[in-house]
Amino acid sequence: MKTAESLQQTWRLFLSRSSNLLIPILAILGAFLISGLLIIAWGSNPLEAYTALWSGAFGSLASIATTLTRLTPLIFTGLAVTYGYRSGFFNIGAEGQLYLGAYSVVWIGVTFSDWPGWLIILMGILAAGLSGAFAALLPGLLKAGRGINEVLTTLLINYLIIQFFEWGLRVDHVSKELDQKWTIINWIGLKDAAQPYPKSALIPESSWLPSLSSVLNSEFFTTLFGDAGWFQNLVSSPALTRITLAPVLGLVAILVVYFILFRTTVGFRARAVGVNPEAARYMGIDINRTIVSSALISGALAGLAGAMEILGSQHRIIPNFLLNAGFEGIPVAMIGQLNPLGVGVSALFFGALRAGANRMQIISGVPTHLVFVIQALAILFAVAGTTIHLTKKKLRPRIENHRHENTQVSPEDKVTDA
Amino acid sequence: MSSILLRLEKIRKTFPGVIANDDVNLEIRTGEIHALLGENGAGKTSLMNCVYGIYRPDYGKIYWKGKEVHIHQSRDAIGLGIGMVHQHFMLVPPLTVTENVILGLPSAREPFLNLAEAEAKIRASAKRFHLDVDPKAKIWDLPVGVQQRVEILKALYRQAELLILDEPTAVLTPGEVAELFKVLKSLTEFGLSIIFISHKLDEVMALSDRITILRNGRVVDTVTKENTSPNELARKMVGREVFLKFQKPEQQPGDVILSVENISALDNRRLPAVKNISFSIRRGEILAVAGVDGNGQTELAEVLAGMRPSINGKLRIHGVDATNQSPHKILKMNVSYIPPDRQHVGLLMDFSVRENIIGKSFWEKPYTRGGVLQKRPIQQYVDHCISKYDIRTTSPNLKARLLSGGNQQKVVLARELSRKPDLIIASQATRGLDISATEYVNQQMLAARQDGAAILLISSDLEEIFSLADRIAVMYKGEIMGILPVQNADLHLLGEMMAGVRRLKSIGEPEIIGEDTGKV
Repeated sequence: MKTAESLQQTWRLFLSRSSNLLIPILAILGAFLISGLLIIAWGSNPLEAYTALWSGAFGSLASIATTLTRLTPLIFTGLAVTYGYRSGFFNIGAEGQLYLGAYSVVWIGVTFSDWPGWLIILMGILAAGLSGAFAALLPGLLKAGRGINEVLTTLLINYLIIQFFEWGLRVDHVSKELDQKWTIINWIGLKDAAQPYPKSALIPESSWLPSLSSVLNSEFFTTLFGDAGWFQNLVSSPALTRITLAPVLGLVAILVVYFILFRTTVGFRARAVGVNPEAARYMGIDINRTIVSSALISGALAGLAGAMEILGSQHRIIPNFLLNAGFEGIPVAMIGQLNPLGVGVSALFFGALRAGANRMQIISGVPTHLVFVIQALAILFAVAGTTIHLTKKKLRPRIENHRHENTQVSPEDKVTDA
Repeated sequence: MSSILLRLEKIRKTFPGVIANDDVNLEIRTGEIHALLGENGAGKTSLMNCVYGIYRPDYGKIYWKGKEVHIHQSRDAIGLGIGMVHQHFMLVPPLTVTENVILGLPSAREPFLNLAEAEAKIRASAKRFHLDVDPKAKIWDLPVGVQQRVEILKALYRQAELLILDEPTAVLTPGEVAELFKVLKSLTEFGLSIIFISHKLDEVMALSDRITILRNGRVVDTVTKENTSPNELARKMVGREVFLKFQKPEQQPGDVILSVENISALDNRRLPAVKNISFSIRRGEILAVAGVDGNGQTELAEVLAGMRPSINGKLRIHGVDATNQSPHKILKMNVSYIPPDRQHVGLLMDFSVRENIIGKSFWEKPYTRGGVLQKRPIQQYVDHCISKYDIRTTSPNLKARLLSGGNQQKVVLARELSRKPDLIIASQATRGLDISATEYVNQQMLAARQDGAAILLISSDLEEIFSLADRIAVMYKGEIMGILPVQNADLHLLGEMMAGVRRLKSIGEPEIIGEDTGKV
């Protein structure tokens, strides 16, 4: 009897531990399997299609560069949603926070273009984080102070920010080269005054995140490998300039968020409030303060997504410069089972699908839209995985409630529960 | 003598490790209001769930109008003419009253609904039974009392002859309660029988014809209202013949730790739940609060723990004002609180055993440095707690949800008592636990008393109170009916105080405020 119970306990522990990474991987595999049937129905060979997809995502330096570029913002927005959800703050505003983050990075870059590159990078990242947090501040305060649903407020603030963004792209930014009368509005707007189009100037090249190309062209490597043929080949590849420090920072962010959530008092409080605010309050946690701090952290992470895109890849803002990366943070987080490490896996999956889709269409004739089917199926499986997980959890207390026949809750308390 | 509508014979229902009902015999007569009285966890609801087909009894027979019936699911019960109004209403909020009432029933014009006819029928029966409801109103627009009427209408529409109401007054205001009782009494005039589940003595006395008292899943007695009194009922509800004895060493109480002056508070429905309560507790003393559940004990504990605001009065801990401080401030005054609801308040069920044990000290040194949790000191502390409090878990990483009830409570105890608190507020700390776990918890309380803690022990178990308390306070309708040393207390006196018929002026001087029927 005793050993049976302890065996059961161990098995459950194993499940709860491994499911963090197991479910996302199984969900992705399941999605490919089912989509394979679709490809057969379409009249193509799924193996051929998937091989093409794979080579489009990982087959060459250029495709790897594309995959990495695509996945980086998704890591950050996925983390933003994950952190928010874990702490009971369902942040649907990553899109707007990302746009505001990108806007502030570019603003720093073009306004202080004479600063050294590293300083622009540093201040840009800081500004992006702060502005993302700022975008989430109001929803956080409203939820903490007035109990107003954050889903609604964060969602609506997206539109506010995106309209501001579009407006900013149509107002000339102050430029020393042009002799005009600048007003305060021009300090806010970001349009490149020298051009007629609604886009900003590029941030100075010195402030672009270092790429693999610049690393390999450094004195250290050139003297090390000199003019070995393969090295020359590698260095001459233009894809190298597109492989930057950004995905590495994404990896760092995954570890940092994991650390904050599971190894710090801030994360402990956030998760406690996310799981059960009443019990958290009982344990002496200030719920309102925790909600606001969680909102700020979540918003900051989404803001950083914008910084990575600007500093690492686009270097300027244009209308729709990174459409939907914020909203896609939600499925990324869901497939990742709301675990920072899982977010890494699912962001890679999303990035690879986007990068490989074209090649798949060219080679096997399967339309690029199939990747959205694969994506949707993976979400479906991941959510199904969560519910299996959840029902397992829920089954037990239900039995226990029967056991004690509602002894736990006095009827008065139940009223508020309902 | 009216005929027997429903008869239960030797009903037994068990859940893994717990006997919910055992050897229950019950007779319901046609046209009577029959109350099922008992503490939370006495087995009232599970017994009725057996009748309504939600559970299947392990053993025993159910007779309906003299014939044995087998009820496998609610549909069978409804088919026989049994209706049940659950504590949580089973209504669809965005739908109208009519739509809710006919939900699940075949229509006369399949596949189309016959709303007009249903509406007319509802109007007719609403008028007949004095159930004032607008059939076209949407459920979410209706106050709780009216929603309950819809539930009753739903049962009547299905031609129920027996109506089971599970704690129907728990969600109602006093005015709505009066209204409900009027409706129920008029229903019996049409020949309906009603089973009324409650733990409130005054309601049972006001409404029912006969009363069956359940305790620990068994029937204690069935009495007619005329031949009983509230204090007899109270005693039958909570009293036990066998007393477990604890070693309780004599000791002199020390200085005052907690003093409460004229505290008042509201419950979740914003009605007064605690009224002008004053008392104090000294170091090394256990003050037990006795009373039938729902007389303000829970709210009082919450006020003391900082979880619920007090609307007037003063609360002092160590002589320092602690009125309406946050739970955090209060626990930093070295106060422990064991809440009555372990699953929703006492524990973070999705957190590990380790995280729950450290839950009230994780921000302190040495468990945190610079905001980073320190693995090793936490592990040492948790390991110490797990062995000291004998928590049966395979790993400290196991989620609290996966532990048994007794072990969950041990986790709460470990967190609350290992901090060596000066004041412990223990609210229903042994509720739902088996005998051995109960004994363990009570021993820990005595050990804490030995260590010089002041303890406020709220319990609805008189046995527990007699064996642990130094002094006993009895609460009734939010007021303290009196505080007396355990030596001066006896079951009869406490029963009267719990039923609200006797109030102590001062120690040892009983003052009769109500008519005592004198039955013992």
